[in-house]
Amino acid sequence: MARTFVTLAGVAVLSGVLAALSAPAMAQYPNRPIKMIVPWAAGGDTDNIFRPFAVEFQKQLGQPVVIANIGGASGTVGAREAQKSAPDGYTVYAVHDYIHLTFYAGISDVKYTDFEPICLVAATPSVLTASAKTPWKNWQELADDAKKRPGEITVGATLGSTSHIFPAMIEKAAGIKFKFVSYDGLAPRMNALLGGHINLTDSNLTQKGKVEAAVLRFIAIASEKRDPEAPDVPTLKELGMNIVYEVVRGVLVPKGTPAPVRAKLEEACAKAVKEPSFAQAMKLQGTRVAYLNANDYAQFLAKIDGESKTIMTDLGLIKK
Amino acid sequence: MLDLLWHGLVNVAQWKYMLPLFAGTFIGVIGGSLPGVTITMTVIVVLPFTYGLDPLAGLAAMTGVYVGGSTGGLIACCLLGIPGSPASIATTFDGFPMSRNGEPGRAIWLGVWASVWGGLLGALFLVFLTGPLAAIALEFGPWEYFSLFVLAMAMVAGLTEASLLKGLLSTAIGLLITVVGHDPIGSVPRFTFGSEFIGGGFPFLPVLIGIFAFAQIMTDLEKLNGPRNQPVQALAGVRLERFSHLKVNLEIFKQPFLLAWATIVGLIIGILPAIGGSASSVMAYDQAKKFSKTPECFGKGHPEGIIASEASNNANVSGSLMTIMAFGIPGDAVTAVMLGAMTIHGIQSGPLFISQNPDLAYGIYAAYILAHPCMLLICVALMPLMLRVTSVRMAVLAPVVLVLCVVGAYALNNTMQSVYVLLLFGVVGYVLVKLGFPLAPLILGLILGDQIEINLVRAIMTDANPWLFLTRPISGGLLAAAVLSVALAIWQHLRHQNRVVEEEPDF
Amino acid sequence: MSIGRDGIAGLVLLAISLVLLVKSFQLPSLPIVPVGPGFYPAIVLSFMAVASALLVLQDLIKRAPVTADAPDAPRRNYRLVVIAFAIVGFYVLLLPLLGFRVATVLFVGSLQAALGRPRTPRQWAVLAAIALGTAMVSYLVFERYLLVLLPRGAWTGF
Repeated sequence: MARTFVTLAGVAVLSGVLAALSAPAMAQYPNRPIKMIVPWAAGGDTDNIFRPFAVEFQKQLGQPVVIANIGGASGTVGAREAQKSAPDGYTVYAVHDYIHLTFYAGISDVKYTDFEPICLVAATPSVLTASAKTPWKNWQELADDAKKRPGEITVGATLGSTSHIFPAMIEKAAGIKFKFVSYDGLAPRMNALLGGHINLTDSNLTQKGKVEAAVLRFIAIASEKRDPEAPDVPTLKELGMNIVYEVVRGVLVPKGTPAPVRAKLEEACAKAVKEPSFAQAMKLQGTRVAYLNANDYAQFLAKIDGESKTIMTDLGLIKK
Repeated sequence: MLDLLWHGLVNVAQWKYMLPLFAGTFIGVIGGSLPGVTITMTVIVVLPFTYGLDPLAGLAAMTGVYVGGSTGGLIACCLLGIPGSPASIATTFDGFPMSRNGEPGRAIWLGVWASVWGGLLGALFLVFLTGPLAAIALEFGPWEYFSLFVLAMAMVAGLTEASLLKGLLSTAIGLLITVVGHDPIGSVPRFTFGSEFIGGGFPFLPVLIGIFAFAQIMTDLEKLNGPRNQPVQALAGVRLERFSHLKVNLEIFKQPFLLAWATIVGLIIGILPAIGGSASSVMAYDQAKKFSKTPECFGKGHPEGIIASEASNNANVSGSLMTIMAFGIPGDAVTAVMLGAMTIHGIQSGPLFISQNPDLAYGIYAAYILAHPCMLLICVALMPLMLRVTSVRMAVLAPVVLVLCVVGAYALNNTMQSVYVLLLFGVVGYVLVKLGFPLAPLILGLILGDQIEINLVRAIMTDANPWLFLTRPISGGLLAAAVLSVALAIWQHLRHQNRVVEEEPDF
Repeated sequence: MSIGRDGIAGLVLLAISLVLLVKSFQLPSLPIVPVGPGFYPAIVLSFMAVASALLVLQDLIKRAPVTADAPDAPRRNYRLVVIAFAIVGFYVLLLPLLGFRVATVLFVGSLQAALGRPRTPRQWAVLAAIALGTAMVSYLVFERYLLVLLPRGAWTGF
């Protein structure tokens, strides 16, 4: 008898304590830390861009912004996680163009319309980069060689993502044919490029140090104008190809997030990107700050989505 | 070069660098010792604080985390039988039995001192040979990686106590686990049977913790005599023995070859990107067993096993530092975060990094070297407290450790998916252990599975000629070594079987 | 002819590998990749099928000389293992519903009680203190210092 009593008393005490512990109070948004899903590994390009952004973003929001790196399967694991999250503004999703491409490539069923746009943050122009173990000094030599041996020049790329689409656009514009080899992420591509295990890849201006050391060559940049950081690198437009290709990165929230919450996030984002320290951090990432508010970003997303569909159709990669 | 290093050491020995280095090492040891908290997670936690520091101070703190974390893992290995971080897996194999035999202090200090000496030996290579060694790493194309992984698996299948066949099957199970989910090249769902849970795949860390933690805790619970008649028992209660640092060091230096070879294995695995400390620990352990005069003692609390595993995982750190110093290419997540920190401070990484920023480069070398004495001091201070764990009742220890495992799994991706995987593989691991399947080959299969597939497919995509695996000299050599290794394992196995009648493994 | 534990394990693994092997041949191929996503799994699974078949064979051959199994020296308490697994299972289920803090207090409390039932109020107090302490400390450390946002409860919002 006494034992049962003691047991019951114990259970009662435990549940009393539990009740005291749980006193949920909904106050002004945001009243707790916000999770920012970055669908790639820590230390990658996307991570390096959103970490300085999170620092400014949390200053504006007054609550910590915690980055959760949810990598895997060309970024689609993170996309799915973001799509499933509660639309309460406590989960934001750091995205780049891959979301359109993986959808059309049939890799994931998550579409950009599953989210509401907050703002566009930054744009990084792609640079066609060659290994120093290749003979080509410039685009012309590369193009001539490629015409002689179609399908033999190897390009390292994350298949179906931006690093695949960009060289594929060049293929089409120049009437040449590459051989693609799967290398997920910039770091493994750089390793293979330095070792000469691939000939070409898509990179960006963060790799300038290796060019100065003559272990890599920048062949051409896909921006409108030459970049002051690398004035010797010609644009693809100068070389007669009408290609401007920038990887753009922005912030989305799950569909159904209340409008006042979105407005608050948009306002914080607008202020965060204007900080000089953020601009400086982006310059070091070979990236320019490219702010668009929610409305403009929505239109921009729709435009990019259409373009991605066209590109994927042209390249024969489309599944949907 | 020596004067540059001397200058670096004097520079880092100032308060403004020693303080972050010490703090980083401390956080690293703590993070490393918690099962489920990885070094990557710990270094990300430190990252924001380094924004405000001067670049060298920030990098010193991160180097400290890296070194401390690689050592901290051994604490949980020896005291709980669960690896505190993936890099110390193999320490569990002998560290935990030694603890259970009543020598937790000896097990831990063997590990700590082996880490110190392995790390410092690695520093010699780091300072003097970074350029040439990193250049060799670049020669590794997909063919070489594939062959290297085949060699690694061939080596470890031979680790098995009871049966080579079960070792091979374990490897296959490990490889199979990595195959499930979306394929790494085109993200085609494989063997998911339409389930979203399986589609997410089985990430390494939750599988690892699940298998080890549950296998260990549940086999301990079996031995509790039932909740009713004998309520609480000090199962893990082992009395603290007297141990001497001198004796432990003598034990390590009695076999200089073991220490040197484990260090070299760790270093090589460290230089090669995307493999990591977990593989180096398991491979060095295997090597130690192969070369040992007493291979049958391994797995029962043999000091050689601890020394090999711990010396190699700290040498692994120096190897990974080489690739970012030499080329600015990160080999793992920790160095990727360090590189990110450099970029934020506006330091141009790349092949010219060392010549353009000698102060910073040699500062990092110095921080790496000085992190070892810091780590030793921290261990001296923490160990009496840590050793208390052995006297905690199982009824308290089991739930607390399981909570840590759940949180660690969750923290990996901030998703419940990993927690479900943890539980699933807890059950799988327990069943496998009960059936007498060895865990080491399974773990190696898990670690390398993805990489083997990717590199195999890359090789085929680059050149359709399959003979390249044999005709490329490094790749062919590695494959030949794999065949030799299996032959050696069979031979050792037969000799062993003739000598001793097979015993029932008790895990 | 009797089959042992190894034999059964081998049969199960053989069955799994054969089923998956068939599945791996049904996987689609990719546009640019010369070998499909089923290529490597097929290699692994064939290897596994052969190894498990050998294990079954080995078991059948080796069975004969072995007579009665030696009785396990300490009596194994499998009931406790099953209970412990069940409690962990409930914990994992309740985690997203009740939130980390509440679920952890319940879990640590109940697993402790299952492993060694307290008898006196004092022991209950110790148990409750450990349960609360574990939940609070791990919450604080991970949420505050390690920047991990632990699960909130869907039912409790806490």
